[in-house]
Amino acid sequence: MQPTAIGDALFTKTQQRVLSLLYGTPDKSFYANEIVRWADMGRGTVRRELERMTSAGLLVSSRTGNQLHYQANSENPIYPDLLNIVRKTFGIADVIRQALMPQDAHINLAFVYGSIAKLDESQNSDLDLMLVGDLTYSDIVVLLLPVESSLQRTINPTIYTLSDINSKLLQGSSFLERVLKQPKLMIKGVINDFGEPLQDQGSA
Amino acid sequence: MTLENLYKTKALHKEPPAKREFNGLVKAAIDRLNDAENTELSYASRFDLAYNAAHGLALAALRSAGYRSDKRYLVFQCLSHTCNLSKSHIRIFSLCHDRRNRAEYGGYLEQDETLLHELIVNTQTLLTSVRSINF
Repeated sequence: MQPTAIGDALFTKTQQRVLSLLYGTPDKSFYANEIVRWADMGRGTVRRELERMTSAGLLVSSRTGNQLHYQANSENPIYPDLLNIVRKTFGIADVIRQALMPQDAHINLAFVYGSIAKLDESQNSDLDLMLVGDLTYSDIVVLLLPVESSLQRTINPTIYTLSDINSKLLQGSSFLERVLKQPKLMIKGVINDFGEPLQDQGSA
Repeated sequence: MTLENLYKTKALHKEPPAKREFNGLVKAAIDRLNDAENTELSYASRFDLAYNAAHGLALAALRSAGYRSDKRYLVFQCLSHTCNLSKSHIRIFSLCHDRRNRAEYGGYLEQDETLLHELIVNTQTLLTSVRSINF
C-alpha cells in the first residue's frame, strides 16, 4: 500500500490548494477569483472552503467593490503552527519558487524530485532540487539557506546548464534518466517528454 | 553552537594544537589543491583532491583552536567559528561532502564541473584564511 502523505491525511485537496496559496504567501490577500484559478477546482467547492475557514478565523475576508478578498489571519491562535504545517508539507514548491525569484531570469527549469515529490516524505528526508540554467551553486545556496532553516530540511541542489543536460541525456546518464522518470514537483518550466533532450524554454 | 558547547555535547574532543601537525595539514592541502586543477586527471580524482584539501584545511583550523573531530561534516560546520566563514560558503563544502559520500558509499559521482570549480575557488579562499591563523 502506498504511504499516505502527511498533507493528504490532514486536509482535503481543496483545503491544501487554498492553504498553500494563502498560508504560502501570508502577507498577501487574494480575490476569490484568483484563489479559484490557483486551486484549479470548482468555484462552489473553493468558495465553501473559504467561507468555512473565514468563519473558523483561519482567514480574514474584506470587500472591495463587489469582490471579496481573503488573507491568512495572523491573529488566529494556530497561525504559526498552520504556517509551518503548510510549508513543511504541500507548500514547499511555492516557498522554493519565491526564494529562487532573484535568479529567475537565469533558470530554465526547476523541480523537486525524490521522496518529497513522491509524497512519501518521512520527517527528515532531504529535499532534492534539480535546476537547469545559467547558475552557480553559490548563487543558489545563498537563496536556499533561509528556506532550509524555515523548512528545517536540507536542500540538495543539482545544477545543469541547458547544453550540459542535453549532452548528458544524449550520452545516457543513468542518474538523469532516473531523476526524469521520478515524480516531480515542478517549480519552473515544463518537461513534455521525459528522456528527450530538453528544449530551451525561452527561445523555443 | 560554540566550539565549547560542541565539546560539552561530546561532538568535539579537546587536544592541544600542534604547529607541526598544522603545517603538515596545510602543506598537504596546498599540494592537493594544485593537483585538483590538473585537467589531465579524471573528474573523480580532481574532486577527491579538492574535497580532501578543503577538509584538511578545515581540520587544521579546528586543531589550531584546540579541538578535534573525526566527523567530517562537523569539521566543515565548525568553520563558522574557526575561520569566520559564511553559511553559504560552508554549505558548498557540505554539499560536496554529501556528493563525496554518495560516491564513496553509493558508487555514484555525477560529473559536475560547476561544483568542482566552485569547490576549488572556495578552498583557495579557505587556504588564505587558514594561512593567516596564528597560534
